[in-house]
Amino acid sequence: MSAVSTAVRSVTVRGNRRTRAGAAILAALVLIALLAPVLAPHDPNAIDPSRVLAGPDASHPFGSDALGRDVLSRVLFAYRVSLGVAVGSVLVAMAVGIPLGLLAGYYGGWVDSLLMRPVDLLLALPALLLALSLIAIIGPGSGVALFAIAVIYLPILARVVRGSVLGVKGEAYVIGARARGVSRTGCMLRHVLPNSLGPAVVQASVLMGFAIQIEAALSFLGLGAQPPTPSLGLMLADGYQVLQQAPWADIYPGLAIAITVLAFTLIGDGLRDHFDPRGVSR
Amino acid sequence: MSARTRYALERLLLTIPTLLAMSLFVFLLIRLVPGDPVRTMLGFRATPGNVATIRHQLHLDEPLPTQYIAWMGALLHGDLGRDYISHAPLSQLLGEALPVTLELTLLAMALALAVGLPLGVLAATGRGPVRRLTDGFVIAGVSIPDFWLGTLLVLLFAATLEWLPPSGYVAFTSDPVANLRYMALPVLTLAVGEAAYILRTTRGAMEETLGAPFVTFLRAKGLPERAIVFRHALRNASVPIVTVVGIQFGVLLGGAIVIETLFGLPGVGRLTVTAINQRNYTVVQGSVLVIATMFILVNLATDLLYGWLDPRIDEVVER
Repeated sequence: MSAVSTAVRSVTVRGNRRTRAGAAILAALVLIALLAPVLAPHDPNAIDPSRVLAGPDASHPFGSDALGRDVLSRVLFAYRVSLGVAVGSVLVAMAVGIPLGLLAGYYGGWVDSLLMRPVDLLLALPALLLALSLIAIIGPGSGVALFAIAVIYLPILARVVRGSVLGVKGEAYVIGARARGVSRTGCMLRHVLPNSLGPAVVQASVLMGFAIQIEAALSFLGLGAQPPTPSLGLMLADGYQVLQQAPWADIYPGLAIAITVLAFTLIGDGLRDHFDPRGVSR
Repeated sequence: MSARTRYALERLLLTIPTLLAMSLFVFLLIRLVPGDPVRTMLGFRATPGNVATIRHQLHLDEPLPTQYIAWMGALLHGDLGRDYISHAPLSQLLGEALPVTLELTLLAMALALAVGLPLGVLAATGRGPVRRLTDGFVIAGVSIPDFWLGTLLVLLFAATLEWLPPSGYVAFTSDPVANLRYMALPVLTLAVGEAAYILRTTRGAMEETLGAPFVTFLRAKGLPERAIVFRHALRNASVPIVTVVGIQFGVLLGGAIVIETLFGLPGVGRLTVTAINQRNYTVVQGSVLVIATMFILVNLATDLLYGWLDPRIDEVVER
């Protein structure tokens, strides 16, 4: 028994350490995004013909791109777009998905079928294809990318919340609250909702990491952020064209994406260990 | 009828409304485009005569239900419509693109399984250093965006070492060796992330199974650890692994869209992206339809296999 409890504790400690490391990276990145105008050494859109594909040096640590723009300054500003789309899309998906999952799970029966059937249909398409289809209809852009990613995530979050609501609504304290005369709605909002949010929060942090990747992929394909907006995906698309002459124009934006996704992955992994120390759902 | 057969039949029947709903979405795709889709699609070729002809061919001048029935009827006869820019029938375009995408995704999945499965078992049974190494691989594999990994691989294997071509495609039937040389980098790119997922799932499932009472019993019985791991535990751990492989196949189809564009492979993914950029709506419809149908069928196959592998499904269904 003691071996098991030690193992559980070590997983929880590891989880906490990971969450903290991820949160620290993320906090730094958010700060960078907010302070981009102060931190950036140059104007991200300033074209300098004398520095086309120029290598890294003291005043341009990440080098310059095909138009002579400073890669570091562009990466700093691009974080605003990437983080904005990632956080925004997950928040929109949560704002719609959590109430849907809560109502479907709590009331069950025909309410459940009515709400979840259409939501499930969204899961019948591969995520990126769904995003591409929506962009094909509406047209490209950062706002459209945010909306498209939110549509992809909505069914996932609704499913997760519905699942935990189904478990929570049978708990003694919920039944007790009903017996005390708390209304169904009150019970749902005051007791079931707060206790069902944990898994959704874990899922949301993992999804934000993927959202960074999806946004970058869409911009890379020319279907997300439009030039001259500094966007990590667009920078990768431009950098790929000059990969051999100026690898820095591609490597730094890619690294920037990888670090951001890493931060969200660590937070998600850590939180999962925290909520589920036995690692059952790993 | 046994519970398991009933589960399989129910699951099969459930696929029909899903396919219908998907077809409705694809059908509406071109009709939801703001403005006149035909005019947008034709661009500078949009003479009044052209627009009227194509509107008529697409049945856009008829009521919506009639349009849907006409479209579905043609679809069931294998007529996916045509590309109004290149004038090729869509069935021909997709027939050429589909083998490329299938080769890419199947090879990537095979490679990911060949790497992820043994490493996952090793991670679940191994000691500290092995665990930490696989942990690092999983985190890196999940965090690095596949298309950036592809870029790095091009930089290393094509630009610096010059071992492999950076992009292009030759059909397997015309030159198998050249085909595999063109496929190597895209397949590797897609497989790394997949291998990380399969590793993580295998490790989780194996850890759970190896902690189960029946394994303790087998150990107490004196069975060699090797036999326990490979003959008993791996079989019990296969249910979540199969599920993840099925789900991840869909993710691979999505990943192929980006990777095909990056490596210039003429698959369905690149066809879709090019069509969206050109606002070539009938081609978008056709390729979305094909990818989505494949995805739904793979999900169906996964669920059926899941029902067959997991005997507990009987209890769940009978409840």
